[in-house]
Amino acid sequence: MPILEIIVSPLIALIIGLFFLGLSRKIMARIHWRYGPPITQPLIDIIRLFSQRSVTHGRLFHLGMILALAGSLVVVLFLPLGRWCPLSGSGGMLVILYLMLLSPFGIALSGGEAANPNTSIGISRKLLLALGYEVPLLLILLSVMTRYQTISIVEVVDAQQGASWALFSAPLFISGIAYILILPAILGIRPFEMVKAAQEISSGPMVEYGGQFLALATLQHALSEFIGIALFVNLFLGGAGNPLTFFLKMLVVFILGLFVNAALPRLRIEQAIKYLWRWPTLIAFMGMIVVLVVRR
Amino acid sequence: MSLELLLAVAFGGSFLTYLFSKISTRLRDGCAVFISLALVAMVASFYGTTVEGSFYSGFLGLPMILRTNMLSWFFAIAVSSLGALAVIFSLSYMKDRKRTDFYYLMFLLVNAAMLGVVFSGDLVSFFIFWEIMSWSTFLLISYNRGPALSAGMKYIVMSIFGSMAMLVGMLSLFVTKGTLNIAELSTLVASSSPGYLLFLVVIFGFAFGIKNAVMPLHTWLPDAYAEAPSPFTAVLSGMLTRMGMYGFLLILYVIVSAAGTLQLGSGVFRFHYILAWLGAVTIVIPTFIAMLQNDAKKLLAWHGIGQGGYMIVGIAYGTGLGIAGGIFHTLNHAIYIVLLFLSVAAVQYRTGGVRDLNSLGGLIKKMPIAFLGGLLGICGLIGIPMTNGFVSKWLIYKTLILGGSPFLAFAALIGTWGTILSVYKFLHNMFLGQLPEKYKDIRPSPVSMKIPIIILSGVILLFGILPGIPLKVINSISVSFGFESLSVSLWGIASETGALNTINLFAAVLIGCFLVGFLFRAGKKSIPVDQENTYAAGAAVPRGKYHYTVDFYNPLYRMITPYLKDFVDVFYMKLAGWTGQLCAGVRRLYTGYVGHYVMYIVLFLALLIFVQVKWSPW
Repeated sequence: MPILEIIVSPLIALIIGLFFLGLSRKIMARIHWRYGPPITQPLIDIIRLFSQRSVTHGRLFHLGMILALAGSLVVVLFLPLGRWCPLSGSGGMLVILYLMLLSPFGIALSGGEAANPNTSIGISRKLLLALGYEVPLLLILLSVMTRYQTISIVEVVDAQQGASWALFSAPLFISGIAYILILPAILGIRPFEMVKAAQEISSGPMVEYGGQFLALATLQHALSEFIGIALFVNLFLGGAGNPLTFFLKMLVVFILGLFVNAALPRLRIEQAIKYLWRWPTLIAFMGMIVVLVVRR
Repeated sequence: MSLELLLAVAFGGSFLTYLFSKISTRLRDGCAVFISLALVAMVASFYGTTVEGSFYSGFLGLPMILRTNMLSWFFAIAVSSLGALAVIFSLSYMKDRKRTDFYYLMFLLVNAAMLGVVFSGDLVSFFIFWEIMSWSTFLLISYNRGPALSAGMKYIVMSIFGSMAMLVGMLSLFVTKGTLNIAELSTLVASSSPGYLLFLVVIFGFAFGIKNAVMPLHTWLPDAYAEAPSPFTAVLSGMLTRMGMYGFLLILYVIVSAAGTLQLGSGVFRFHYILAWLGAVTIVIPTFIAMLQNDAKKLLAWHGIGQGGYMIVGIAYGTGLGIAGGIFHTLNHAIYIVLLFLSVAAVQYRTGGVRDLNSLGGLIKKMPIAFLGGLLGICGLIGIPMTNGFVSKWLIYKTLILGGSPFLAFAALIGTWGTILSVYKFLHNMFLGQLPEKYKDIRPSPVSMKIPIIILSGVILLFGILPGIPLKVINSISVSFGFESLSVSLWGIASETGALNTINLFAAVLIGCFLVGFLFRAGKKSIPVDQENTYAAGAAVPRGKYHYTVDFYNPLYRMITPYLKDFVDVFYMKLAGWTGQLCAGVRRLYTGYVGHYVMYIVLFLALLIFVQVKWSPW
């Protein structure tokens, strides 16, 4: 069975991620009073991109991109998808945290080979934004791990399946609120869209990609949306007993995120860091103290 | 074979190399490489043995002892092999420089002294080797003259403070216990009062804290690392600074013993808990200061301080897992920081000593091996899974989280995320991005530079994928301290609260990369174009006019710079300035006129007479 799970769960993640990309374009269009492209548009684009030729700036340009997508695929294997978590025995939440680095790192290496100012600006913003949201995120994750006395994400899900969801349980709901406040930054949607900022720096790190590079980058983007939401669902919405319930929970979170995306304008990077290091950090900090006090 | 022979080869070899250098430089190079490789082989042959023997008995009536056990062997093998790699690297790096004979003499002397420190079985020989090490390091740091002189001065002044503290501790041990033999002390000291134990760990902790650059005793390090010749900086950062870690292990867990150390103090004011917090501060602040650096070596130097914090947190936390993490991180840090400094040195060698990150760039196509070293080095430094740094950091995080110290864990984790920013800038500004016009015709590194870089890169991956190799040794060290054994296998750690399996991780990433690679191949072949041939959204960027990565993190700099001055350094420098002024004031008394001196004597006598007449104390 684990072999089957290893093959199927990345595929499910890709399908859900691509579906979300299509859905977001549709919903955003409806909010703008447009008709919008079909939901399958991202998939069509990817197939088309594979038939187009791209330019390349060297070997690292390829390898970085491959590493980025492979890194995201591996993270999926460590995340419980319903009851499925093929590699849960090989490392816990700390490994997930670190593996989530591989994709941005790969894109940064790949983009670094080209001498393009927009890429540089985009990468710099991505790393700064990541530092911005990692401060509250780490506090939140440590609160969860301290609360449940484990570093395994599967056990966190199990603990919630037995009792209520962490978001609605006594000490952890404070951390949950902080997580909701930083979720848009993790997903890279407005108001934290400064990394891509299509109108300002021509999609930032993506600017040099075409052809299969862009196809892989789109797949990676789809997976990173999936991972961002799946981590939240697993940690605070109790995970799920089967993949279908899991998908429904993710869908709700994603659509709520889209409304935020539609309503708010883009921040500048220093505004984003100031925001992330102020309210979410403060709340996450309080959450951690409460968890520690309750445990004593 | 005996330890005396090993040290004789080490010390004798350094002087022999100096003699040979007067005959021919090739002979000298061959001798230096041979001696350092022979030392590796000799140290390796001591694996698993416990030898103890006195080699000189006449010093103040105290026998001087050499001994080896797992702890000594572990540090010795790291010292000798990293030293050998740095010597091989030096062959081409130092080729056309002045005073190279002196350089090799001092280099091998430092190596020998470090071996002496770890093999010492009593505190007298420990102190003597420690001082040889400190002084020859001072001479090498100042090797380049100019700003290097003041960097060396800062180092040696702080080092002397540390040595004096150690001397006080040793004298007190000798007076109260009557021996300086480490093995005997470890049984005698355990029965002392907690107050005396606290005195011991604080006074020795001060000495080793300076060497290991624990905040607030770190200020010598950035200048010294930046100014020393680069291959020596590698040794300095990799092993020499970590002699402080050896010292900490020796005092905390061998002499005072685990039971004694962990019971000092009460509540949150436990000694080892406070030490762990010092370690946490040492992680966070230097890592963020590193982000502001534009000098490649200074950037790495600040990371050297920061990573030292992880080791301190690991060993100070006082659980078997934490100790293992701390010791393992010492080794891992040595490997990747040596690799990083060697990569910087390789770039310096070809660019004429440039280490300013704002004027380099695009060297990946010119120096692919140096790039490989830099890449794997920073992966280890960040702790990307499948590199060695990940495993040791994982052990430390797990200890902190399960031990119920999430704030310490937070400090350790946030240090990692700060690291990513600065080391990406480091790699990007040297090897990626624009290639400046003046470096268009640069040649790749010479072979003697490539060999150490390739070996170290391989070791980083090896210990990341099969961490069981060193962990087996480390486990037996922590068992010898009296902690319970960990269930270590070749590819990870099994336990009921969360396992780690590095081979599964590696397989998953490898298969993932292959699959994506095949998918990538399915697309049409892409057209290679020049690096500057980019899409600029309709605005043509003039070639070579801008450097895109100067002030890479400007928005953040503006926010955090005011908070990240090295206040401790400013304070020490002020202290030094005041001392200087005081001494200058005192010097005015010494005018050089005999008449004045006679006047001082008369005045002093008058004072004595006055005191006697008034209060008659005598």
